[in-house]
Amino acid sequence: MDESQTPRVVTVGHVDHGKSSFIGRLMYELGQVTEEKFQELKNISTKRGMEFEFAFLLDALQDERNQGITIDTTQIFFKTEKRNYIFIDAPGHKEFIKNMITGASSADIAFLIVDVEEGVKEQTKKHAYLLKILGFERVIVLYNKVDKIKYSQEKFDRVNKELESYLSKLEIKVHSSIPISAKNGDNISKKSQKTDWYLGGSVIDILDGFSIDKKDYKDELRFPVQDIYKVGDKRVIVGRVESGKITNDDTLLFLPTNQIVKIKTLESWPSSKTEYNQGECLGITLDEQIFVDVGNVASRPEKPPKLMNRFEANIFWLSQKKVKLNKKYDMKINTGQYQVSINEIKKVIDTNDLQSKKNYDVTKNDICELVFHSSQLIPMDNYSDIKSTGRFCLLDENEIVAGGILNLKNFPDQKEVLSKSKKNIIPEEFYVSEIDRSVMLKHRPGIIWLTGLSGSGKSTIAKGVEKKLFSDNCNVFSLDGDNLRLGLNKDLSFSPEDRTENIRRTAEVAKLFSQAGFLVIVSLISPYRSERRKARDIRPEIFRLIYTKASVDICSKRDVKGLYAKAKSGEIKSFTGISSPYEEPQKPDLVINTAKEQVHESIERLYNFIKKEFSFS
Amino acid sequence: MDNHLIKLENESIYIFRQSYRSIKNIAMLWSLGKDSNVMMWLAFKAFFGKLPFPVVHVDTKKKFKEMYEFRNIYEKKWNLNLIKGNCPDIKEIDPSLPPAARSAARKTAGLKKILDKYKFKGVIAGIRRDEQGTRAKERIFSPRDESGKWDIKNQPPEFWDQSNFNYPDSVHIRIHPLLGWTEIDIWRYIKAQKIPIVDLYFSKNGKRYRSLGDKDITFPVKSNASNIDEIIEELKITKVSERSGRAMDHEREDIFENLRTKGYM
Repeated sequence: MDESQTPRVVTVGHVDHGKSSFIGRLMYELGQVTEEKFQELKNISTKRGMEFEFAFLLDALQDERNQGITIDTTQIFFKTEKRNYIFIDAPGHKEFIKNMITGASSADIAFLIVDVEEGVKEQTKKHAYLLKILGFERVIVLYNKVDKIKYSQEKFDRVNKELESYLSKLEIKVHSSIPISAKNGDNISKKSQKTDWYLGGSVIDILDGFSIDKKDYKDELRFPVQDIYKVGDKRVIVGRVESGKITNDDTLLFLPTNQIVKIKTLESWPSSKTEYNQGECLGITLDEQIFVDVGNVASRPEKPPKLMNRFEANIFWLSQKKVKLNKKYDMKINTGQYQVSINEIKKVIDTNDLQSKKNYDVTKNDICELVFHSSQLIPMDNYSDIKSTGRFCLLDENEIVAGGILNLKNFPDQKEVLSKSKKNIIPEEFYVSEIDRSVMLKHRPGIIWLTGLSGSGKSTIAKGVEKKLFSDNCNVFSLDGDNLRLGLNKDLSFSPEDRTENIRRTAEVAKLFSQAGFLVIVSLISPYRSERRKARDIRPEIFRLIYTKASVDICSKRDVKGLYAKAKSGEIKSFTGISSPYEEPQKPDLVINTAKEQVHESIERLYNFIKKEFSFS
Repeated sequence: MDNHLIKLENESIYIFRQSYRSIKNIAMLWSLGKDSNVMMWLAFKAFFGKLPFPVVHVDTKKKFKEMYEFRNIYEKKWNLNLIKGNCPDIKEIDPSLPPAARSAARKTAGLKKILDKYKFKGVIAGIRRDEQGTRAKERIFSPRDESGKWDIKNQPPEFWDQSNFNYPDSVHIRIHPLLGWTEIDIWRYIKAQKIPIVDLYFSKNGKRYRSLGDKDITFPVKSNASNIDEIIEELKITKVSERSGRAMDHEREDIFENLRTKGYM
């Protein structure tokens, strides 16, 4: 018995083609259904007026049992004489594609099940296509319900031919094709007499012979930074080796910051090793201090990932909401999160005939090819080169809307573009660097941008937080919209163009302060989303948007400066909230609801947020 | 340690670190059982020997005395920030539930009290898929609404180690770092890492506990396994399920799902 391997096996296919029944039957034949469980399932089946139903072993939910379908993915453990397995059951109903993906994404081996009487159906093809995106190069096909076609080789061959031709177009290899009956147990744990024309092995034989050895990436190290801990007086960068290996005398390149640094130590608890392989978690300390952020990727300098701001991806779309061009989505890739937008829909694939659909609306459960853009540079790999750093998921607000695999062939690697364009600019090297300042100040620089209506409490909170941070010996400074308009911005009016310029200047000043090591608290109505985005883009890694939330009604009731009264009487024109729009932030880093909380609570919350985000560890 | 245990260990460490990074204000449940102690050990590995969050024992006041002794020793030895939470009286619990399930539901109510008091946004719990059918359906990061309810028919997708952490403020997330472990993995890991456990798991007079809960609704099973090696051997051939000694599981077909959708671990 080989205990060092526990392959994960998923069964996918069209609804009602017998995925759950097959796994239940397999478990039973291997003698791994306990007496207790067997009795329980018997009672459950009888209660519903059914014959003994193996699927109930996996379909544990009441709704699943009552409706006779699998709703959510499940996992079950069993062993053969050769090794242990984890079996993953995935629902076949098209409503539950997200659950199918949840189940199948972690599997090493895939069974594609087809009801041989019914033949290849819509979800058989869709699941096959999804297996391809999920990285399966080979599948085992099970032709179930062979008892229903009276064990006819002719009918088996017909369905088999159709499916093999489809899979070959997807470039998925068929490892084996097995005629089975989950109900009667044909060819599950032993060869059936009734299919004497079938020359291959039983399911168990074939499963035990399936090798799951993965591609060896050798020197293509990928170490995405998961977090940074302070352990004693050490600053430990933690993460997991996604590919390749890491040894204690390595030199690492960090992207996107493009810094090369030697490893000092490798750390784990209670004892450390000198080498860590793919899949292992560890901590690293570095020979010199550099800025490292969550989501940065370390590699060997000679084999780095690509650095992209435009790229293509093959996507499965999971949300009810349609794809919207040029809207901001959050892309999560490894440990990093970035704002991206979709610029182009290249193709929407009809999985029935593999042609491109005429209609370019991407809706729930569609598979498509999209072009993405990001204002930040993102380290990533081609999916065909390194799987784990070549795939990502997409979020919209609080929903995972899609998953995708990367195709980086059609756009330039920005690493090369950057190094070319820099050739003509010789940077001035100063003796005091930003990191030196941070080490001395014990905090990182930051731009804390408070947006909200006039009277929503921006300046009040800014004043309170500035005071608290100052008494902690932080280098902190407040930039206030009203104050700036008395000096630097006194030539600007409240027209949309001048508001934009007002924000641009303020953001540039904030940037200079941040370069001097300061925590800058900016209080500015900044009513337009597009302008706030530009402000963020100046230094996205240290920019945090804080929304001080209070309705126009509440702010005009407060009316501390008497401005709302003047705006309502028409004395002041273009007043935000009254005669000029305020666009609420879609994704602020922190919301402070000043209508609901006390001033001291708001100050405390923002103070804690800043401490957490910018303390230097 | 073999590759399978190394893989499981690293998957759990990754989950711990992801939770701490992505969810504000988290805590870990410590039921004092074998799984709980393995979970504690993995958390030490994730955070280099010192937990950066509190540990919660939801105390029904009906645990075995050996468990309380264990708690008192290891609270100090492991330097834990331990929150001891009480459970309401049985009279306050839904009387329509069968007796053992009603008793178990006290724990859900006790947990809810702690969540309300400390406003935890993430709770780490040591459940495993192989224990029970509805637990097999769980996500690693499972969102619960303000009443603690589990929306079992509409779970978020979870793939490639990516999960959603963006939820409304009223939602808390149950975090399950041991979901992929089996009972036998737990014992093999306890052996490999020499993790301390309560000795009620070892056979005395032909009986031992396979799973520890409240003493009035948990019963020992027949077994002669009196050390870890014997337990591992026993588990390789047994046909008795792990939770067979838990009275609540046998009262009604839907009882575990019923308890769990309402917030039971």
